[in-house]
Amino acid sequence: MAEVRAFLFINVRKDHDMKSMFTVIKEQIQSFYLIRRLSMFEMRSANNNNYLGILWEIINPGIQIMIYWFVFGFGIRRGENVQPFDIPFIFWMLSGIMVWFFINPAVLESSKSIYTRINFISKMSFPMSVIPSYVIFAKFYQHLMLTGIILIIFQFTDYKISPYIIQLPYFMFSLLVLLLALALVTSTLSTIVRDVQMVIQSIMRVMLYLTPLLWPPYRFDGKYEWIQTVMQINPFYYIVEGYRAAILGTEWYFVDHWRYTLYFWAVVIVILAIGSALHVKFRRHFVDYL
Amino acid sequence: MSDTVIVKNVTKKFKLHRKASEKLLDIILPNGYGEDFYALQNITFTAKKGDVIGLVGVNGSGKSTLSNIISGIIPPTHGEVTTKGQISLIAIKSGLNNQLTGRENIELKLLMLGFNKKEIKELEPEIIDFADIGKFIDQPVKKYSSGMKSRLGFSISVTVDPDILIIDEALSVGDQAFADKSKEKMFSFRDSGKTIFFVSHAISQVKQFCTKVMWLEYGEIRAFDKTEIVVPEYKKFLKEYRAMSREERKEFRERAMEKQSRPLETVK
Repeated sequence: MAEVRAFLFINVRKDHDMKSMFTVIKEQIQSFYLIRRLSMFEMRSANNNNYLGILWEIINPGIQIMIYWFVFGFGIRRGENVQPFDIPFIFWMLSGIMVWFFINPAVLESSKSIYTRINFISKMSFPMSVIPSYVIFAKFYQHLMLTGIILIIFQFTDYKISPYIIQLPYFMFSLLVLLLALALVTSTLSTIVRDVQMVIQSIMRVMLYLTPLLWPPYRFDGKYEWIQTVMQINPFYYIVEGYRAAILGTEWYFVDHWRYTLYFWAVVIVILAIGSALHVKFRRHFVDYL
Repeated sequence: MSDTVIVKNVTKKFKLHRKASEKLLDIILPNGYGEDFYALQNITFTAKKGDVIGLVGVNGSGKSTLSNIISGIIPPTHGEVTTKGQISLIAIKSGLNNQLTGRENIELKLLMLGFNKKEIKELEPEIIDFADIGKFIDQPVKKYSSGMKSRLGFSISVTVDPDILIIDEALSVGDQAFADKSKEKMFSFRDSGKTIFFVSHAISQVKQFCTKVMWLEYGEIRAFDKTEIVVPEYKKFLKEYRAMSREERKEFRERAMEKQSRPLETVK
């Protein structure tokens, strides 16, 4: 507890933050093999109980996509195409919401990763910063699978694979870094104060509607133009739009919106620095908070 | 002989909270909130290669806390613990993943202990052989009986060939045959010069097995010496303790609580 207070009351010096960040990055790279292996076990233990096993990772999103399409595409938009690139709603939605089926569980699962696993992990010879990463990675495999399926489906439409697809690995990487940075913050805080988990759940529920997933926020003009700008503060906006540009082949998103790219990476680095500082500061005492 | 475990001025303080709100206050307030409880106070000792140290004491004297601190699971509040070599803790709670099969658990555990693929392949049959749970090895651990679980946990912990072994009341698991087998393994560890900590309430086991005994009381070391010296003293104390009336015992425990709620004056 003394540690928490020290952290709350004494401002951590900037150079200290940076040092923790490099420590965490180094740990991630050194333990990469371990992260991959542990994430395989993680995935297996999550799906061992169901007969259809991993298939549920496809069936569940499938059902949700249908209902979103029905409600938002037919019900609210009456089948109208999405501007400015004149894309049928279903393709516009699919190319974005598939990322959300990775982001949402990854954020929720990684934020509770440390306090749910620390008992089981107890004495180990690897750095604790690996725990959120392998949990995220376990979800990432499912994401790759879903992305593959979506790309195959799109081959039968007007939105076949184009050269723009080479942006996709860049956006996947950016998303992984963002998720890890967030997880370092949330997993530490939720270990100390369990209520944080509830806060994150609520935020994620809201984010579904504040990220361009179900309705396109592009056509505010006049005095409501600022709404889009405010929504872009959310770094997931960047990721979702990037995926969309890559899959639908509309633009080189990270070049055409280079200022937004700079903003995104600035945000990621700040979150990563804060997350690493928090994590490194408290990790020795995680067990005490159980 | 070289020192393998050096414990220096180790103190472990817990905060006692009655409600969740007190816990929150403790985080926010600059001086903390809640009653202090010293599970361990100013523990200092050294263990050498080949030492088999029995940890004895009545319930709540800090045996498990000390073994957890030595194995690095919980950090001490003050003081320092230095250990040389790989540590393995064997406790009744085996720390297996219920959803995975026994075989997957073996891989997972070894992976987390830092073994590579090839080493895991080599150790796996040895562990399965020692645990002796037959076909169940490919069943999820949630289907295991409690005996099977602890047998598997025990087998993993001993097969990794640790330099320092901490056994927390875990030798009493399984049937007689397995108990004999584990005891044999323990003796061979002892003879090959490893450092072993042995937490037990069974004095006869301690006497038979340990070279030294540490007697903990109120979170402090009351005695730490050769088995022949400490065990008779401890037995004498136990006899007195058992002879106490309910009130006297209550008084003893209250005295302990009182003593453990504030730091020792003698801390240098």
